Parts: sequence; C-alpha cells; structure tokens
Amino acid sequence: MDKARKKTGLLQKTSRIFVMLSFLLMCCSTVVLYFYVRHILQQEIEEELYAITDRIETSLQQGEAPYSMPPVIEVVEAAATGQKILRDTLLYDDTQGKMELFRELVSFRTAGNRTYRITVRDYVLESQKILAAIIFSYVLIIALVFILLFYLNRAGNAYLWRPFFETLEKIGNFSLIDKEPLKLQDPDIREFSQLNKQVKTLTEKVRDDYRNLKQFTEDVSHELQTPLSIIQMKVDNIINSAPLSDEQYKQLTSIQKDIKRVTQMNKGLTLLTKIENNQFNLVREIDLSEMIRDKIADFEGLSNDKIELVCRDTLVVKMDYHLAEILCNNLISNAIKHCSDTGNIRVETTFLTLTVINPGDRAIVHADQVFERFYRENNSVRSTGLGLAIVKKICDLYQFDIAYAFVKNMHVFTVTVPGDPVLLSVKTPKAKL
Amino acid sequence: MKVLIAEDELSLRESVAAYLRKEGYVCEVAADYDEASYRLSLYTYDIVVLDINLVTGSGIDVLKALKASGEHGTAVVIISANNALDDKLEGLDLGADDYLTKPFHLAELNSRMRAVLRRRKFDGGHVLNFNEISVDTAARQVWVEAKEIILTRKEYDLLLFFMTNKNRVLSKEIIAEHLWGDNSDLADNFDFIYVHVNNLRKKMTGAGAKYIRTAYGSGYKFMDD
Repeated sequence: MDKARKKTGLLQKTSRIFVMLSFLLMCCSTVVLYFYVRHILQQEIEEELYAITDRIETSLQQGEAPYSMPPVIEVVEAAATGQKILRDTLLYDDTQGKMELFRELVSFRTAGNRTYRITVRDYVLESQKILAAIIFSYVLIIALVFILLFYLNRAGNAYLWRPFFETLEKIGNFSLIDKEPLKLQDPDIREFSQLNKQVKTLTEKVRDDYRNLKQFTEDVSHELQTPLSIIQMKVDNIINSAPLSDEQYKQLTSIQKDIKRVTQMNKGLTLLTKIENNQFNLVREIDLSEMIRDKIADFEGLSNDKIELVCRDTLVVKMDYHLAEILCNNLISNAIKHCSDTGNIRVETTFLTLTVINPGDRAIVHADQVFERFYRENNSVRSTGLGLAIVKKICDLYQFDIAYAFVKNMHVFTVTVPGDPVLLSVKTPKAKL
Repeated sequence: MKVLIAEDELSLRESVAAYLRKEGYVCEVAADYDEASYRLSLYTYDIVVLDINLVTGSGIDVLKALKASGEHGTAVVIISANNALDDKLEGLDLGADDYLTKPFHLAELNSRMRAVLRRRKFDGGHVLNFNEISVDTAARQVWVEAKEIILTRKEYDLLLFFMTNKNRVLSKEIIAEHLWGDNSDLADNFDFIYVHVNNLRKKMTGAGAKYIRTAYGSGYKFMDD
C-alpha cells in the first residue's frame, strides 16, 4: 500500500459520503418514479380508449350510424373480425399540421349483423409532458432538500466533532518542555470526554517520565562531580608523591584525560537540561562578530589551524550572553576538532548569518544526525559528542536556523538569525560608523 | 598564611588540606555548615576554601555571614559541584574572590588562591619572586635579574602557573586546562603544550633561568636545583 496515501478530513469525508449517497438515492428514486408515473399515465390512456370504444359499440348497437372523427375516432365496416391491437403510431394530425404520436386501440365489434373495425386514438405527447413535469419538479424538490440537508449536516457534524478537533489541536501543540500540563475541556459527549481523559492521563505520564529522566540526568551529573573530584585529586597526589615509572605516569595522565572527558560530558548534559529548562535569561543585545574575535584570540596557540574572521557585516543578536559564548565556542571548537591538515578555518558574519567553514576530507555520512547528542562520525577525535547538540538546542531556543552542508571539501555550518526589523534598524547606524 | 577548608567530603577535604600544607599554608578544616560558621566566628583566616553544597547548609549562607560580620580581610574561593552560573554570579556578587567548579586540579586551586592573595595585598604583593626571576602581576611583566623578558600571553600565564606550583609535576592535562579551560580537550591530539613550554623554556634559559624540567617524559616541573 502507498504509505503516503492522501488523507481526507473527517468532515470532508462524511460530506462526501452524504453527497454520494444522496445522489444515488436521487437517481434511483427518479428512475422508479419515472416508470411508475409512466405506467399509470399509460393505463389511464388505455382505460379511456377502452371506454370510448365501448361507448361507440353501444351507440352502434342502438342503431346509430357509425361516425368518424379522424384521427381520434375511426369506425369502418370490416369484412371479418380480427385481433384487438393496442399500439403507438405516428399519424398526420391535420388540426396541428404535423406528425403526432398517438396511442391507438383497434378493436372489432359487432352491432346487429355487421362487424365494425373501431380505431380510437389519443395523444401520447400530452401524457409525456405531464410525466416530464412531474419528474422535473420531483428532481428539483429533492435536489433542494439534499442541498439543504448537506449544509445542515455539515454544520451539525462540525458542531458535534468540535471537542475532538480541539483535543487534536491541543495534542498537536503539546510539548514536553511546556511548564503547564495539557488543558483539555470536558465535553458532554461521553466518548470525547473519555478520549480527553485518556489523553490527559497519557500526557501526564509522559511528562512525569520526562521530568524524572531529566531530574535523573541532572542528579547523576551532579552526583558524579564529587567522586570525580576525589579521583582527580588522588591522581594529582600520586603524581606528586612518589617516584613513578614513565609507564605509570602515562597511565595516570591518561586517567586525568578521561576525568576531563567525563567532566565535560557532565557539563554538557547539565547545560542541555538547563537550556531546556530555560534557565538562561540574561538576554541582551550581543555583537557576535565582536565575541567571535575574542574567542579566536582565546583559541590562539591551541591548534595549528589559522582561524580567519571575515566580518562582512556586524551580526547583532538578542540572546543570553552565556549561551552566545557557548554557541560561538562550540562552533569554533568543532571546526578545530574536525579540521583537516590543509587549509584554514573561516568564520563569516553577515547581517543575519554566522558561518563557520573548515576544510574536511569527506562529507559527514549521516549529515541529518550531526546535531544529535553522542553522534560521532568516528572515534578518532576525542569529543563529548555534545557540542553540536548544544549548538542546536541554543538555536532552537532562539528560533535560529542551523544548517550543515559539505561544499567543495568544506564543512559549512550556517546559523541564520530570523530577520528582526528592530535589530536591523538598531544596527544600521553602527554599520555606517 | 592561614586557610580554612570548608568541605563536607572527607577525601576531598584531606587531599586539599594535604596539598595546601605542602605549599606552606596553615590549614584548618570544617566538615559541615555549623563547623564552618563556628570557626569563622571565632578565628580569623587569610583565605577560606568554601564548598557551596555543605551537608547541613549552604556555603552561600556562610559567605553572607562572613561578609556581614565585617571580616573583609578574609578572601573566599568557592568550590562547587554546581556549574550553575547563578551560583557563580551570586557567589561573586556576595564578595567571593574566585569560583572553581568540581572537579578541579589541586595545582589550579593553589594557583587561584595565590592570585587572590596577590590581588588582596595591594602594597607590593603583586610582585612574585623566585631567585633571580621576578614577575609583576599587575603590569604582567617578567624580569630575570635586571633584564625584562618579553612573553606571549600564554607563556606568561604558564610561567605564573609554574611559579605558583613549584616542585610539582604538572602534567600536560593540568597545564592545558589552566591555559584553555573547557577548551583544553582540543589540545588532545596536538603537542601544543610542548611548543608553549619549549618557547618559554628557551626564553628563560636564554636569560639564565633554567628551572623548567621535564618529568616522566611528558610532564613538567619547575624547580631549583
């Protein structure tokens, strides 16, 4: 089955079914009505034809002379009796001057000792007109009724399903990070009320689990700090206490390195939780270009790669100062970590974008996962696997767009700040200076 | 130099105390909030190493009480398991002199404490001497005998770190963390520390101060013969 099958709205679907059913019903009933009315009309004509024939026979038997009134009545003496014939026939009607369709009854009757062939005719057209009129008015009325019903039905459905749609919308907007629990109405329809109750229970549970998990991460991170400190100090003390062999020293410093890594990971995880909890609100205007210039100076001497700042325009953003630092820091340190030996790192700022470019040997295999926590392309570079996840979190918090691309052997990370006319106007005089 | 170490974790307390005693401090310890408050109310210290999360109370409260008592001569270095910026800002706002996040290296703590003490002694306290080397920490200038040595920012930081942690083996990890903090993991694959130390060593040796030794192949030690 095609997975991406087009979905129809509930109201649309019910309306569509209603239209289809009513159309079918209308067609069937019209056909039935047509045949029924036609049958009745025909019977009526035939009855009339028989009645006239009978009357003529009676008048002939009373000795009156046979009289004709073509094309409606024709009485002629016949040599012998024959079969009664009932049929439709086309005849020239001289009163109207054109060919007309008649219903014709030919019967043979005897009066005295003579046999007469009596032909009685009636206009069919008339009954057809009546039939058409009846069918037309029927279709008109029923169509009007159906259209009326259609709108009433739709409005009724919309009213009936409203609590459902409200719930659906609320669930759609539900976010684990929200401080408030999901607020749902209690509708008077039992099923919807049940649905809301279940959804409430479910989301509450999910929120609880999420909170617990977050709390757990926070607690673990926090509780780890003390034992880590103890290990670290003991290692420091061992290094300084007794003469060690080079091998022992190497192992001890390797422990130091790993402690550092766990510490960094802890810090990263705590930071992620804090960003989620929205605990950074020292929001102010920050000149990111300026900040990056400082950061590059900080990184001086830490790597062989030259970091070049191309400041096309000053990039001023409104965000928490500490988070801005982390954002710049993580982007640049990521570039340093994954920079191939050839070429320099380039950081560019424009009015609305911050781009960090570093040369790389090959594109990231799972580019879509690059911002996920603990995603590592390979294990050759020691990293916490949190740097870019934190960058993404910060960007999400401020609705910045972050994108990764691999262009001409360059890893390109671009942060795009949503255009804010207020900021732009603030910035313009600055750019002139 | 009299130090009070207020830390509830026994191992940490003892390690810090042992290290600082070797550095020539007179150390007293407090295991919880009450003991810390008690000692601070009775005695005067030059510097307090204060843990924020004391079992029976907050180090922040100890700090508040200390500042309220008018003991402005006592410097405070906060150590905390919380990397919370709020704590840091609150601590510094309340008059703490520095803030260290656990886990930290003892050499780092020592270096911070020395810096705090230097800053607090206005009258000439900013000059650090070691044999023929003198460092003016206010002007960031280094002199060997009467000759000024021009150092880069990192080399200067490195020399100061060495001088405050004499006779200690300083691994490249500790040095990297001192110089670059959280970004020091970037130095993992590279021997940048080696480059910086070597440059510093060349400059110092050129002026006749040969105190930077290699220890265990990849660590360093600043020592007199």
